[in-house]
Amino acid sequence: MNRNLLLMILILAVASATCIAGTLEGKVSTGNSVVYVDTIAGKTFPAPSKTALISQRGLAFVPHVTVVQEGTTVDFQNDDSVQHNVFWPSVGGNKKDAHNMGTWPQGDKRSYKFSRSGVVPLLCNVHPEMSGYLIVSPTPYFVQTDASGNFKIDNIPDGKYTVVVWHEGSKPVNKSVNVAGTGKVDFTITQ
Amino acid sequence: MFQHIPKFDRLWWLLLLPSLVFLLPDTGRAIPAFARMYGTSCSTCHLDFPKLNDFGKAFKDAGFKFPKDNEAMLKIPPVMLGAPANKELWPKAIWPGTIPGIPPIGLRYTTYLQYTGSSSSNFAPLTPPGTLPPLVPATDFETGLFSLYTAGNFGSDIAFWVNDDLSVSGANANGGLGDAYLKFVNIGRFIKLPQSALNLRVGEFELEIPFTQARSIWTSSYDIYLQSNIGARNPLFPQQFVNNQYVLGETGRGVELSGGRHTGGYNYSIAFIDQSTGGDVGNSPYVPTALGSNHGGLGVQSNADFKDIYTSFNYRFNLESDKDSRRAIQAAGATGPHDHTYLNLGTYYFYGRSVQRLLGAASDGASTVLTAREPFYRVGGNMTFNYRCCLQFNALYMFGHDMNLLPVDATGTLIPLQSLGQITATGFIRGNPATFSGGFADVEWLAYPWLMVMMRYDGVNSNSDRINALTTPSFTGSPFNAGFGSTRNRFTPAVQFLVHANIKASFEYEFRPSQSVIIANNPVTGLPMAFNPFHTNTAVVGLDFAY
Repeated sequence: MNRNLLLMILILAVASATCIAGTLEGKVSTGNSVVYVDTIAGKTFPAPSKTALISQRGLAFVPHVTVVQEGTTVDFQNDDSVQHNVFWPSVGGNKKDAHNMGTWPQGDKRSYKFSRSGVVPLLCNVHPEMSGYLIVSPTPYFVQTDASGNFKIDNIPDGKYTVVVWHEGSKPVNKSVNVAGTGKVDFTITQ
Repeated sequence: MFQHIPKFDRLWWLLLLPSLVFLLPDTGRAIPAFARMYGTSCSTCHLDFPKLNDFGKAFKDAGFKFPKDNEAMLKIPPVMLGAPANKELWPKAIWPGTIPGIPPIGLRYTTYLQYTGSSSSNFAPLTPPGTLPPLVPATDFETGLFSLYTAGNFGSDIAFWVNDDLSVSGANANGGLGDAYLKFVNIGRFIKLPQSALNLRVGEFELEIPFTQARSIWTSSYDIYLQSNIGARNPLFPQQFVNNQYVLGETGRGVELSGGRHTGGYNYSIAFIDQSTGGDVGNSPYVPTALGSNHGGLGVQSNADFKDIYTSFNYRFNLESDKDSRRAIQAAGATGPHDHTYLNLGTYYFYGRSVQRLLGAASDGASTVLTAREPFYRVGGNMTFNYRCCLQFNALYMFGHDMNLLPVDATGTLIPLQSLGQITATGFIRGNPATFSGGFADVEWLAYPWLMVMMRYDGVNSNSDRINALTTPSFTGSPFNAGFGSTRNRFTPAVQFLVHANIKASFEYEFRPSQSVIIANNPVTGLPMAFNPFHTNTAVVGLDFAY
């Protein structure tokens, strides 16, 4: 009797854990894309305490694409021997969120907390050819695909979500996905 | 087509054209030579090409490379001309060096439409009797320069530059070499001088004149840079046997020692160049030279033993309040990097000898060649005040002076110049020197990264202004040497649009306040005076692209 009870409790516990920490996986037709779960109605997430780092090195933003959760503080560090600037003309297409961080020399860094989600095109007004992207996800459920486009987001609770895929040079694509333990969705990106 | 359009409308079309060009679709990219090598935009080094920003000046000072971490910035690595381990064999030699990974070639082309006021017909009185005056069309399409640029660094701080105008005005082989030199940067390190204290440049190059003419953003040249010194020939005035074609804006062949930086502090230049005042050049098919002139080789190119000397010194005060920023190549600002706010003060001096030769007679009456060596100098000062990225005031003053050696006959009597050749000269005496003075002042405002608005004043005063011609009805000599002191001046408003970082549309309107070609005696004072002054204004629309 006690043995059966313990087994039942164990099964329920595993089932419960599976429901809370599910997995969303799939494939995007173009590699090196960003996949994230869009805003979930009625749900907010605490801002991460960990900062992200974007370097300016060899007249380029490194990494070229960075994805963070909304509320994350990003450090912009100049690792070149020339001065660099960082500015963005919009956040998620909203030009009111344009901002110029200024200019600083080698070894210095400046930080900015991104409180609005969306795509942030990063530019340097000294070197117009420099380009980087910061994707600010409204949820902690995001990932960058591998070169083949495969992705997997762990620890995602069951539910119905809008999943967004962004790739440089393409319009974001979104799909509605049900996650019940696991979820699977594939995207086709058109350039 | 324009003949039926009222003047006012014509002008509107000229103003409108750059705007229309600016609206062309954005499909190209700027990829000149250095941009290719470093994978960076033209605007890394240029404000409004070819004008250099502070980083571009530092890049040039360093020998066409990044002042720091050059290897890390190069997207196309150089080709080694020998294994680095060779350094172990000859640790103090700079051999073997490198060459750029790709041929660093840039090309540039310009084309223009010019408009000339109908008052150009007022120059008709200058036409010799019995000949037709020239027709100056109101509008004219002009093909400009197609030029090749190649420049870079061979490693070991040896820089090179060659530019050549492959064609001018659409005519093949009508162009010419611009600058072509090797520059040995920071050779002072071999004798433990401070960094950048001493460089050596060898070849043909534009002198370190305060404001470059060869790479100016202005469509029209600075008048004072094109001012030669031609003496007055009109017998009504004290005559001058001066025929010095040298202008400061031309290139010189020789060597130059230089040092300092153009981004802050001092910089200087001392150059020794061939004398080239337009006198006799000693090429002869009978006289062999090192480069074989009697076999179709190069012969000689200077026309005197003397080498002209040019010196310049500038000091630039960077005015940033922050000490670290003041020392940086470019100042850091809240909204982006920009050139320093600075004040640059400079001075320059050129000394040469103009040579003229003529057949004359020695004291014993034997025929001989007489040589007049007329020392001349050009001296002046310059000033630039630059406010951050966007506003710059420039000014330059120049004074020119040529000694005037007048031919005399055996009795020591002056020979009227129009009689030269009929009366045998035996020597020279000093006459009134030929002088001129003038300069320019301009303001350049970079309103947007793609829009430059400018205004310039040019003024040249010469006692024999070769361009601002004045003549009397009775004078039959060249009207360009009439002997009147006259100020030739103009105001030039201009606007330039960077359609792309490498394509520029420009518009200049040259407004000449007053000009006259006729003189007569004032009935009251009895003195000669110019009358019937008129304006000959011109407008130029240009397109300029480099790739």
